[in-house]
Amino acid sequence: MAASEDASLEADHAQAIIARIEHKSRKIESLLKQYKPVEALKTALEGSPPNTKDERCKAANWIVVHRALMAIKDVDGMFSSLDPEYYDILMKYLYRGLATGDRPTCDQCLRIHEKLTERAGLGCILRSLADTVNTV
Amino acid sequence: MAAAAVYQLAQCITCHAWSPDHSMVALCPNNNEVHIYRSSQDKWERVHVLEKHDQIISGIDWSPRSNKIVTVSHDRNSYVWNKEASEWVPTLVILRLNRAALCVQWSPKENKFAVGSGAKTVCICYYEQENNWWVSKLIRKKHNSSVTSVAWHPNNILIATTSTDGKCRVFSTFIKGVDSRDSGTSLSGDLKFGEQVVQLDLSFSWAFGVKWSPSGNTLAYVGHNSTIYFVDDIGPSPSAQNVTFNDLPLHDVLFVSERMVIGVGFDCNPMVFTADERGIWSFFKFLDERKAATSSSKSGSQFSEAFGKLYGQSKPGISNDAVEPSRPRGGAHENCINCIVPLKKSGDRTVKRFSTSGLDGKVVIWELEN
Repeated sequence: MAASEDASLEADHAQAIIARIEHKSRKIESLLKQYKPVEALKTALEGSPPNTKDERCKAANWIVVHRALMAIKDVDGMFSSLDPEYYDILMKYLYRGLATGDRPTCDQCLRIHEKLTERAGLGCILRSLADTVNTV
Repeated sequence: MAAAAVYQLAQCITCHAWSPDHSMVALCPNNNEVHIYRSSQDKWERVHVLEKHDQIISGIDWSPRSNKIVTVSHDRNSYVWNKEASEWVPTLVILRLNRAALCVQWSPKENKFAVGSGAKTVCICYYEQENNWWVSKLIRKKHNSSVTSVAWHPNNILIATTSTDGKCRVFSTFIKGVDSRDSGTSLSGDLKFGEQVVQLDLSFSWAFGVKWSPSGNTLAYVGHNSTIYFVDDIGPSPSAQNVTFNDLPLHDVLFVSERMVIGVGFDCNPMVFTADERGIWSFFKFLDERKAATSSSKSGSQFSEAFGKLYGQSKPGISNDAVEPSRPRGGAHENCINCIVPLKKSGDRTVKRFSTSGLDGKVVIWELEN
């Protein structure tokens, strides 16, 4: 009884998160149309990772972040306007991107990874690898 | 500031401790022995070898007033060594563990000592006069993983522990007949033995190296995610700060004053953290100067070096040769630093000198300018 209630609560929760991600996605598309890729990336990273264990939510959020990541052309320019508070979460998504094995995604992630490591150091990598709870 | 003195005393050192007058150092050269060195005109002479343990010694503490050495080892036992005439005489302390003992510390009054272990327990040991015997009392079922570090509060009652389940916990160790109720502050109140005061759930990865500030008001510990945690107001509503940094994780910490902490670890270079007037902690600088020159030229090759270092660290128990020294970087330490000990004269409020030891087998003495 209690378990099924929990499950339905979890499902409602997941629905709410998916709705939020959809909203985020629309916002990102409009930002990209206005040639604001860094703003789009910030929007994508905000509220990430979704506070749930539901893999569908995580996958949906990754699609949104991926969209914003791939739109970044000028990596140095991006870092000059991206605040350090986003570094740790960005690193996690870079590793998720590298895990896809998709050639263009990996190329893009490695380019950003190099610059990010210069700025945030090995500590940032360790924080993203060591955190087994808040996975993206 | 550079190191005041660097001594290569072994191939690899797991832990070290100083005699009360700081003329002798006891260290474990990554085996089942404790070597005691005495300094004479800047040369180190090995004066004693304590052989009793069967496996690697993971913790040594030398009590400053009673001049006793306590050692713990992966063989699950502990010995208290007492100096009689010119010999160190061991007394076995049966800890009742089924896993390795990992760390040890004398309480401030030196009537108890605490041992953290791989058996998810903490042993509080005290001397029973009637039986002429050290008794071990266990704090069980509180930790979900190995206890990596223990630290005594100045009030001799509270103890902080860190564990590989990522949590830092504070317990009462009140033992009837050993402690009196009035010795504790309001913080320890009427807590029974083994009662948990607080559990700090800040880190999502292993936690190492916990220490109290000299007053006991602040607690600092480190996580394996390159983060150091500072906690004030230990009690029902603690206030915590996380400070993340750019380099490899820390392994141990030391308060030199209420507002300054030294952290040592896998980056081979001690880091200084300071608190400003509002009590906000931040990374201040590296203690070894050479880092400033190298940090700007970070390249891909540092990755392999870093991961090689972690790999070497993961199996310290095999043999000295298994731990490959990483590329010398021109600093005082060339490999992971795993131990930091204050060199404090009795009566000093702040720590001006301290020593570090690590997997490169060096003991380095540091002096802080004012």
